[in-house]
Amino acid sequence: MISESLLHFVEFELQIIALTIFAILYALKIVQLVKLPMPREVAPASGNPAKGVAFSFSTLINPFSMDSTTKHLWRWMEFLIYHLGALSAILATFTLPFAPKMMAYPVRIVFAIFIGLGAIVGISKIIRRLANPHLRYVSVPDDYFSLIAVEIYFIAAAGCLVYFTDGWRFVFFLITALFLVYVPFSKISHYVFWFFARIYLGIRFGRRGILPKKRLQHG
Amino acid sequence: MDNQKESLVQKGKKELDKRFSRLVGLSSSNLCVRCGLCVDACHYIMSDGKDLAVSPVAKAEQVRQVYKKHHDWLSKVFPRWTGAQKLTEEKLKDWREVAYKNCSMCQRCTVNCPLGVDIPAIMGATRSTLSSLDLAPEMLTMLADMAISREENLDAFRNSFVNQIRSMEKELQEKMGDPSATIPVEVQNANFLYVPLSGAHTILPAAHIFNKAKESWTISMYEAANYGIFLQDTARSKKITDRIVNEAKRLGVNEVIITECGHAYSTFRWTAPSWYDEPWPFRVRNLVEVIDEYIQTKRIKVDPEKIKESITLHDSCNLARNSGLIEEPRRILKALVKDIREMSPNKERNICCGGGGGLVANPEWAETRLKAGKPKAEQIKATQAEVVVASCDNCRHQIEELNDHYDLKVKVTGLSEIISEALI
Repeated sequence: MISESLLHFVEFELQIIALTIFAILYALKIVQLVKLPMPREVAPASGNPAKGVAFSFSTLINPFSMDSTTKHLWRWMEFLIYHLGALSAILATFTLPFAPKMMAYPVRIVFAIFIGLGAIVGISKIIRRLANPHLRYVSVPDDYFSLIAVEIYFIAAAGCLVYFTDGWRFVFFLITALFLVYVPFSKISHYVFWFFARIYLGIRFGRRGILPKKRLQHG
Repeated sequence: MDNQKESLVQKGKKELDKRFSRLVGLSSSNLCVRCGLCVDACHYIMSDGKDLAVSPVAKAEQVRQVYKKHHDWLSKVFPRWTGAQKLTEEKLKDWREVAYKNCSMCQRCTVNCPLGVDIPAIMGATRSTLSSLDLAPEMLTMLADMAISREENLDAFRNSFVNQIRSMEKELQEKMGDPSATIPVEVQNANFLYVPLSGAHTILPAAHIFNKAKESWTISMYEAANYGIFLQDTARSKKITDRIVNEAKRLGVNEVIITECGHAYSTFRWTAPSWYDEPWPFRVRNLVEVIDEYIQTKRIKVDPEKIKESITLHDSCNLARNSGLIEEPRRILKALVKDIREMSPNKERNICCGGGGGLVANPEWAETRLKAGKPKAEQIKATQAEVVVASCDNCRHQIEELNDHYDLKVKVTGLSEIISEALI
C-alpha cells in the first residue's frame, strides 16, 4: 500500500527536486559548452544563414532531406514513433498531477498507445544494436543502459496510464525522478545538444549557399 | 624513454585541448547517439563495409573517447560506462590512420547525420594535433613547406616562372591564332589575380577564356594548392595564403580567382579570411563562377555543337558540399553539352571520389584511396557517360586513377578545358 502522502511527495515534491537538479545540470553543461571558443566565419556570405538554420531544422520532419533517412525510411519512422512515445510519457508526468481532469480514461489510453508503440520501437533498437556489427563495435554500456532505461520508463508510463493504481503511479513517478537525474549525464542528452548542432550546421550551410541552394545571379 | 613517451602524451593532451572548440566539444559530447545512420553514407564503408573501424562513427569514437575522459563528467568518474579512455602514445600513432588515411573529410557523414554531428571537425582537431606533434604524414608536411619556401625564394624563382609563362603564351597564341593573346604577369591594378595550380592544364584553358572575354587579369606567381589545410595546421596554411593575399594587395586587384581546385577554393574563400584581423580589399571567386558569369552575360560564346560526347559532372566535395558551387557548373555544361548525365546521388549529396583530404598526394595510401573510390567508379559507370568533368584537380587525378583501376573507359577533364575546346 502506498500512502497518500508518499504518493503526493513522489508526484509533486520529488519531481520538483529532480527537475531542479536536471535544470541545474543542463545549465552547467550549456555554460560549459558556450564558454568554448567558437571560430566565426567572417568571409562574405553567398547565401542566407537564417534560411540555412530553418532548413537544418526541417530535416527533422522531412526524411527525404537526407540520403541516410531516404534510404532507411523505416529508421525515420522509428525515430518519429519513439520520440512521440517519449513526448507522451513526459507530457503525462505534467498532466497527471497538474491537470488530472484532462486525463480521463480515453485520453490516458491514447497516451498509452503512443507510449506502447514507442516501447515496441525501443525493443527493435536494442535488437539492432546487438545484431548490427557496426553498432555493436561502437556501443558502450551507456548505449544499452539508456535504451533499457527508456524501455522501463515507457512500460511504467503505459502501466500507470492504463491501470492508474497508486502502485503504478508511484513506480512511474519514482522512475521519472531517477530518470531526470540520470539523463543529463547520458547520451539521452542529445535532444539538448541537437538544437545547438543544427543551428551551427544551418548557419554554415546557409551562409555558404549550400542548403538551401543560393539563388544564382548574373543570369 | 618513458619520460619521452610521457612527454609526447602530455603534449598531445595539451594540443588536443587547445583544439577543443565549441564544434568539437559539441560533436564529442552526448550529441552522438551512435545510431549508425552515418555508416553507409561513408565511401570507405560503401566500398566494402567490412572494416568496422572506418565507419564515420567508429573513427569519431576513437578520438571522442579521449575527449570524454577529459571533459565529460560521467566519463571522468566511470570511464568504462561511456567508453572513455586515456590518451596513449599508441593511440596518437593510430590516429594517423584514423584521421589522415581513413577519412577524406568529405562531410558526407555530417549532412547525413540527423543530429548534425560534425565528425570532420573532430577529424580536423585530430589532424591538427598530430601535425603539432610532428606525427602528420611527411609528404603533406613537405609539400606545405615547399609552397611556403617559394615566397622566401621568390627572386630566384621569378625568372624561371616568367620564362615558363612566356612559353605557354606562345602556345596560347598559336591555339587562338591571335598574336596579341597574353598571359599577363604582375600587372598592376588588373581586375583580377588568377591563381592556378602547377601544370599548363590550369593555365592555358583559363588564359584562353580570359583572352576571349577581353578580361583585365594577371596570373599569380604562386599555386593555389594549400597543403597546410590538409594538415589542419593554421600557421602553415596562413603562410601559404599570405603569399597570395600579399600579392593581390601589392597588385591592387579587385578580385582573386582561384582555379578549379576544391580545397584551395574552400580554404581561400571560406576559412582563411578568419585568420586575418582586417577584411581583405578584394573579393574571392572560383574560376567556375567567372566562366558562368561570362556565359550568362555573353562575354564569351561557346559552340553548342562542338562537344558531341555524353558528359557527367563529378561534384567535388569542397566545391559543392563545402562551398555551394552546385548549380554553376551545371549551367555552364548546359550551354555547350547536349547529353549531360547526372550521377546519383549528386550535388551536395555527392559521393567523395576518395582522393580528398590530401590522400591523393600521398603515394603510400594509393591502395586505400583506390578502394575507397569504388563507389565513385560505380557511379560513373552507371551513367555510361564518355567524359567525366571534375572541377577539382585532386578529384580529377583520383578519377583518372579510378578510370585505369576500374577500367571505366572514360575521358577525364576539367570544366575550363572543355569550355576552351568549345569557345567561338
